[in-house]
Amino acid sequence: MLTLLSVSISTIVLINVKKWNWNALFVALAMMTFLSITTVNNSGSASWSFLSHSLAVDSLSAPLIILSCWLAPLCFLAQNVVKGNSGSLQNGFLALTCSIIFFLLLTFSSLNILSFFICFEATLIPTLVLITRWGANVERLQAGTYFLFYTLFGSLPLLVSIVLISQTTSTLMIPISEIVSLQGNTFFSINIWWVITIVAFLVKMPIYGFHLWLPKAHVEAPVAGSMILAAILLKLGGYGIIRMNAYFPDVTTLSAILTVICCWGALITSILCTRQTDLKALIAYSSVGHMSLVAAGTIVFSDWTISGAIMLMVAHGLVSSALFALANILYERTHTRNIFITRGFKMITVLLPFWWLISCAANLGLPPLPNLIGELYIITGIISWSIFLAPILGVATVFGAIYSLLIYQSTNTQSIVLSSMNFSEISPREHILILFHLLPLLSIIVAPNSCMVWSN
Amino acid sequence: MLKLGRCVHLLARCTNQTSSFARTLASGGTDITKPFRQIRDGLSWTIPKDLQNSDRPPGEVDVLIIGGGAMGSSIAYFLKAARKAGVSVAVVERDSGYSMSSTVLSVGSIRQQFSTPENIYMSMYSAQFIKNVQEHLQVEGSDPPDLQFNDQGYLFLATKDKEHILHENHIIQKNCGAKVELMTQNQLKKRFPWMNTDNVTLGSYGLENEGWLDPWSLLKSFKEKAIDLGAKYYNAEVTGFNVVDDDAKPIDPTQFAPNGRRLNSVMVSMINSPEVVEVKSSYVVLTAGAWSGQLGKLLGIGTGPKEENLHMPIPVEPRKRYVYFFHCPEGPGLECPLLIDPSGSYVRREGFGGNYLCGKSPNECDEPSCEDLNVNYDFFDTEIWPNLAHRIPVMEKLKVKSAWAGYYDYNCLDQNAIIGSHPAYGNFLMATGFSGHGIQQSPAVGKLVSEKILAGEFQTIDVSKFGFERCITETPVLERCVI
Repeated sequence: MLTLLSVSISTIVLINVKKWNWNALFVALAMMTFLSITTVNNSGSASWSFLSHSLAVDSLSAPLIILSCWLAPLCFLAQNVVKGNSGSLQNGFLALTCSIIFFLLLTFSSLNILSFFICFEATLIPTLVLITRWGANVERLQAGTYFLFYTLFGSLPLLVSIVLISQTTSTLMIPISEIVSLQGNTFFSINIWWVITIVAFLVKMPIYGFHLWLPKAHVEAPVAGSMILAAILLKLGGYGIIRMNAYFPDVTTLSAILTVICCWGALITSILCTRQTDLKALIAYSSVGHMSLVAAGTIVFSDWTISGAIMLMVAHGLVSSALFALANILYERTHTRNIFITRGFKMITVLLPFWWLISCAANLGLPPLPNLIGELYIITGIISWSIFLAPILGVATVFGAIYSLLIYQSTNTQSIVLSSMNFSEISPREHILILFHLLPLLSIIVAPNSCMVWSN
Repeated sequence: MLKLGRCVHLLARCTNQTSSFARTLASGGTDITKPFRQIRDGLSWTIPKDLQNSDRPPGEVDVLIIGGGAMGSSIAYFLKAARKAGVSVAVVERDSGYSMSSTVLSVGSIRQQFSTPENIYMSMYSAQFIKNVQEHLQVEGSDPPDLQFNDQGYLFLATKDKEHILHENHIIQKNCGAKVELMTQNQLKKRFPWMNTDNVTLGSYGLENEGWLDPWSLLKSFKEKAIDLGAKYYNAEVTGFNVVDDDAKPIDPTQFAPNGRRLNSVMVSMINSPEVVEVKSSYVVLTAGAWSGQLGKLLGIGTGPKEENLHMPIPVEPRKRYVYFFHCPEGPGLECPLLIDPSGSYVRREGFGGNYLCGKSPNECDEPSCEDLNVNYDFFDTEIWPNLAHRIPVMEKLKVKSAWAGYYDYNCLDQNAIIGSHPAYGNFLMATGFSGHGIQQSPAVGKLVSEKILAGEFQTIDVSKFGFERCITETPVLERCVI
């Protein structure tokens, strides 16, 4: 663990090297990624490994740590150079992205809830700066405002709850959270306590009622920011709910309500996706849909749904990031994200439709890719909890398939406007970028236990 | 203390705004939808005021339209009216008063009597649009637009030797579905007794969908509806283009396949300011009217190598045409059509007080200079009045009240429109060169260009005959009925 962190800090130091900034950083981050794979814990038990005083890895955080480390070099591959910026501004960009990854690693491996919270909040500021400084349109100011205030207002109750927990149980260690018992004063107060704890994560995930910041932030962020946001920052929410649920084993009233809200949210968002005109907004809304499903899974909190949630988080991170990278490849060439104008590229961009097909197929849940496994586990768990949610989840899945195929069909197979298709060729860098997004999906197929959680 | 004062100040402003809204409601004011529109437009909540009402174009836009006359505004309207596409449209117009624009200085008439089927179809579509303009172009919260469309036909007159042209055109027009009738000399004498039908053997009279309207209202309605739907107009001038030249390969000039060039961004310089904004756009539409040829040169069209189809300039240049407004007390009344003499002069009724508009295209060798828009009154005395007096005897007694001059965006090749993209720059579309019949085709052209952008091909009418390719191969598509 300490090796990982030291490597990540060294990447920030490397930024001040004058030449070879991006390439050196890429190599350092790739080294870190390969180191991180050693954290994988295949024993299937709930043990903590890499144990130190304040940092450790268990089978819940290992896949997410690997995901963050994996996405780091891919971000720098996608945003190859920030055009037109001076050297110090480029260094700033690199420093911000590296600091996000550093804090993410700390978040996923921290053993103390307060340090988890501090690092959770610390990822906010660099992301905000990334969106508002390097975004392309004037709407980025509004996007930054929405992002900042939604997340901040969500996490204030979490801070209150953490202080309360530390007062009542006089400990904030995560490994012993299951055996600590929280006594509420009345029957209802434990429910309220639980809600104020997880509302920060619900906003971060986001679920349908709190999702307004996501399409704005994703659309306005530069591609590296979009990729990190979609891939990992959203998963902080899922991770947080799973960790915090250990303190609240018997919240039934509000958890039932929240599960239903999340399922309906998934349905509504999937329907909204079919009517979007901006490609990046489409992918952003699909993130909301998938994450609402994950949220429902984590709130139901059974073995199957938790495993499904982690699997879906990892798979969705990779696929969503791949889709944003693909959208950016087209955007760099046509300067528009409108799906009626970026159309019909099957004949022009030679190998790209293959990557589009796999990414869209993964997005809709095609077996044997892990997206399906995660969705299946979650849906099975939720249906066994209440049969009435079955039609809602079924229709949500159908609409998920509809908009994923819509993405593929409109960008690749629609009628083309041949005369406006003057394109530079897709460089090998871009092909490698998408390939490395999709390779881990294949490896998860053959080693699913790496992304499944302990059986209690 | 300061905070308290600020709170009170904000509260006062809030109540002020609500009370003014209440006052507007109570007084039956027309613009009650403005507050709702402000709420609908979410950006107004968090973006500072001076960024919102910015006069500068944004850094990135989906479609940039150069020139905000009737063509540009029509294209902007149709692009935005296809609401499910959600394209962002910016129109760059350097003259906010439209003082030299061909649109506002035009006589504003619409006819179906062309010899090219595409022209006939375009005019028919536009006539339908104009008749239903209140349905299409009404802005919520204000009065429906009134174009003052006078439904009155054109009357083309032909002497014995030009009769066959009129016959051939008539067959083409009938095939396209235009409602036109041919009238012999006797029929003309009976129908229009005030007309001298001496050497005229045939007349072609439009029965429906022809007439004249107020072009300024048309422009204003298109512009206001486009702005209401979300298009943005900027008072600025295009001064340069940036081209991306990845793998520009020389191509076979007989095949109009795209090479590696792409129009990346447009340099827009603000009026009265040294500021130049670079606007990245996915499509650029050139509707600059008489100045389109000039703008094409900025892009290198006309000065480039032949292998890349850049050797032919856009053949559009301004030509000055005069329009004279006169009063004739005994002139023909309501039944006066837009009469076109075999000599080329035209005259039409204007209003109901015995006023008329007339004009004539001068011969090639007598083209007036286009330096300014000053009117030459001698032209009326020597070229137009004798023909008028010969054709309509009562018009020997008339008094010229005023006159103005306007530019035709004259297509030197064949006086027909150029609609379509340039072979060298696939995302550069043109809709120009209308040579005097632009206003009547503006709704149709708007629809066709929006289809080209959103669907990739012309769906309503196939105007590929009017593409720029004919300018490169120099095969004119001649229009016989040019006024």
